[in-house]
Amino acid sequence: MTDLIKLRGVQKYYGDYHALRDINLTIRAGEFFSLLGPSGCGKTTLLRVIAGFEGVSNGSVMISDKDMKDVPPNQRPTNMVFQSYAIFPHLTVAENVAFGLRKSKMSKAEKADAVAEALKMVGLDGYGKRAAHALSGGQRQRVALARALILKPKVLLLDEPLSALDKKMREHMQVELIRLQRAVGITFILVTHDQEEALVMSDRIAVMFAGEIGQMDDPETLYRRPKSRRVAEFIGKMNFLPATVTSVGESIGLDIAGFGQTDVPQDQAPEGAKPGEAAIGIRPETLAILFEGETASRHEAPATVDEVVYYGDMTYYDVRVKDVPEPLTIAMKNLIGRPVLEVGAQTRIAWDERAIVVF
Amino acid sequence: MKLRIYAIAYLIFLYAPIVLLPLFAFNDATIIAFPLTGFTTHWFTELTQNAALHAAVKNSLIIALCTAIFATILGLCAARAGAMSAFPGKKGIVGFVMLPLVLPEIIIAVSLLVILRQVLGLSLGNWTIILAHVLICTPFSIAILNGAFGALDPAMEEAALDLGETRWSAFRLVTLPLVMPGIISSMLIAFTISLDEFIIAFFLTGSNPTMPVYIWGLLRFPSSLPVIMALGTILVALSIVLLTIAEIFRRRGVRRSGGTDTGGFL
Repeated sequence: MTDLIKLRGVQKYYGDYHALRDINLTIRAGEFFSLLGPSGCGKTTLLRVIAGFEGVSNGSVMISDKDMKDVPPNQRPTNMVFQSYAIFPHLTVAENVAFGLRKSKMSKAEKADAVAEALKMVGLDGYGKRAAHALSGGQRQRVALARALILKPKVLLLDEPLSALDKKMREHMQVELIRLQRAVGITFILVTHDQEEALVMSDRIAVMFAGEIGQMDDPETLYRRPKSRRVAEFIGKMNFLPATVTSVGESIGLDIAGFGQTDVPQDQAPEGAKPGEAAIGIRPETLAILFEGETASRHEAPATVDEVVYYGDMTYYDVRVKDVPEPLTIAMKNLIGRPVLEVGAQTRIAWDERAIVVF
Repeated sequence: MKLRIYAIAYLIFLYAPIVLLPLFAFNDATIIAFPLTGFTTHWFTELTQNAALHAAVKNSLIIALCTAIFATILGLCAARAGAMSAFPGKKGIVGFVMLPLVLPEIIIAVSLLVILRQVLGLSLGNWTIILAHVLICTPFSIAILNGAFGALDPAMEEAALDLGETRWSAFRLVTLPLVMPGIISSMLIAFTISLDEFIIAFFLTGSNPTMPVYIWGLLRFPSSLPVIMALGTILVALSIVLLTIAEIFRRRGVRRSGGTDTGGFL
């Protein structure tokens, strides 16, 4: 895949407020890329910088090796789906979709064909004559997609496009968007604060905090090997335990509070880790409650059930382990015949050093 | 129940004088007094034959039309700036622009007269009245257009820009049609205010009086009172029609841009 968008040292100030701090990133052609972060982290600002609605205070934005400095939004090979969708309420669905073709040299019939094709692509076949202001949220979003995609941009920018939809519709549209992106092969850049959405949809994710990129990786690496504690905290749920790094070398020697001593490979710890105080993280689904007659394949520790949250398909336990300051969360599938423990029950938990991340 | 009686009494107090207008406009007597003596359209016929009145009405219409156009253009600029861009001291400036709304008209009239005649030494004419009427109508235009722009999603214009339009064509193709009901509403209200404004017109009028000033002049002749009643009847009907149209357009605008109604003048 070739590089399509290159941001080098991008800085953005609003007065004294430092909205973007030295953003460097490369987005490849045909990629589904997400900007993920809590509100106010600068992800929408970054998207608007790429679209051309915001200038940069410093640094450069290149699209297809062309410097976008002084190129206004209407001349950039990008199109945007706005958070509010910004469907023009005084026009019909077809007029909305055809809006961007106003200046193209296509004939009337060609434009009508293009509109019909775009509407078909987003599943709004035959909706062309409807008034735009009478559409539902999901339909508006489809119109916004068709309106942007009809121009065949190199990059489609999506600003929290699913946040206005209800949960069912949102999950449905996630799948639709992935299908659409694969069909058209256009680079999608998605801004979202929903980590699950980012994990489900993206090829790569940049996690942003306070105007900086905390980590940029594919979803699996991001989830399994978060490079910092705040990334680990933002994506999914993670248990943190105090630990001591006892030795460094080909593998890292650890003494974990409550768990005892173990070794982990170098790639589960940050580069240049030194002996001394540290913390380890372990995901709830990589821990397990051991029921009657079960034994751990690696390590186990005695524990007391502190809290039980029953979700139907899953049960989340908070358990206390001796010498571990905070209760550990464990996610267990409710398999056939597996009981749900009660608060106060004595049990054993299994843990595996392969699931440990050292911070 | 008590409240209803109170409300009815209040409405009578408010509208009884206006109801008297058409009553005496169609009464066949030169003296304005009960009992009514018979039905006539004589006073309306007399209206159509009065050349001086026609000149005054024409003057007023020209002034009202120019006022409506200029006040709405100024209101459009102010409302757009207020709704879409942030600049230092915005709140203070917006408040200052709205001030003529509460300024007594007599103050505006006197101060403008002093400036135009004494300071600048200009002669009075229709344009001086237009100037003053634009001053008092612009806050109304801003108030109406603020509502129209407030209901507008700022992403609309950006979306048009993103789809290849220039700043101007984005405004023309998207923003303008969406605030058009507000523009029409603003023009109608400015037109109505200017048409029957008396104090400023009385101070600043040149040799050609406006309609309200002309009517005031007629009051010296008791025999022409019924003619004034007839004219008043037409004006009241016209004002009601214009304000109703203005309100219909304002509501349609709010509905079309998908916002909720947050009130207006009616």
